[in-house]
Amino acid sequence: MNEDLTQAHLKLLFDLDNLIDDMEEPKYQKIGFKVENEARLLLLRKRNDLLKKLPKELAEIYERLKKRYHQAIAPVENGFCLGCFQQLPTQLLTRSQEIITCPNCGRILYWRKK
Amino acid sequence: MNLSSLLSKKRINLSLKPGKKEAVIRELVYSIKKGEDAELIISTLLKREELGSTGIGKGIAIPHCRSLAVEKLEIAVGRTLKPINFKSIDKKPVSLIFLIIAPPQDPGNQYLITLGKIVQIAKEITKKNLIQKPKTPEEFISLINDLEKGLKRRK
Repeated sequence: MNEDLTQAHLKLLFDLDNLIDDMEEPKYQKIGFKVENEARLLLLRKRNDLLKKLPKELAEIYERLKKRYHQAIAPVENGFCLGCFQQLPTQLLTRSQEIITCPNCGRILYWRKK
Repeated sequence: MNLSSLLSKKRINLSLKPGKKEAVIRELVYSIKKGEDAELIISTLLKREELGSTGIGKGIAIPHCRSLAVEKLEIAVGRTLKPINFKSIDKKPVSLIFLIIAPPQDPGNQYLITLGKIVQIAKEITKKNLIQKPKTPEEFISLINDLEKGLKRRK
């Protein structure tokens, strides 16, 4: 599968998971944004469809990390993984185009576009 | 943190071209991010809209989401030259849009606190009929600042 497309699916999956988490947050509902259960189920279905579009191994890693850390992806900032706040080895910093995991916590790393 | 301190003149467009909901969201997102990052944010915002419109009624909408594409909380504001259909809860067209994007890691839950504040400010704006009042981005920030102070005094 095209690596760029996989990355795009992965990032959207992560953003959708955050959206699902927020919807279930009582503070969010208290603000006044009500979400119908039907719409919520539709979003969960879309989320699962997106998960199926990922290579099987990556989908399994993503789900395992999500279960463990709640957020499976961690952005990289100034050479640090923002999941575990450990500095990443220099050789990893040149591989920002690839899907790689943090050698310390295992989260999938995300380099923001500059 | 004050809401007015999160606003930037460059991201307040008080003469937004009216258009479809998606086009207006797109234009506001592109004032924050470009290219691939902007497209990711737009996809997530539109998924959020599918769950139910963020048009809170009386002419105001607050599209919002968290996204990997931003490092810090970002806000863009747009006022359309003519009201647009946003499928709002009161079915009325929208002309003032507050767009909020937060990073996934958000210590202290600044995102939900800011979202709550914007909802309160938006209610004040509609109550006092102020949507069309500010003529420049500077006046808009000053209005938000005044409303925020008023809300604090009431607490």
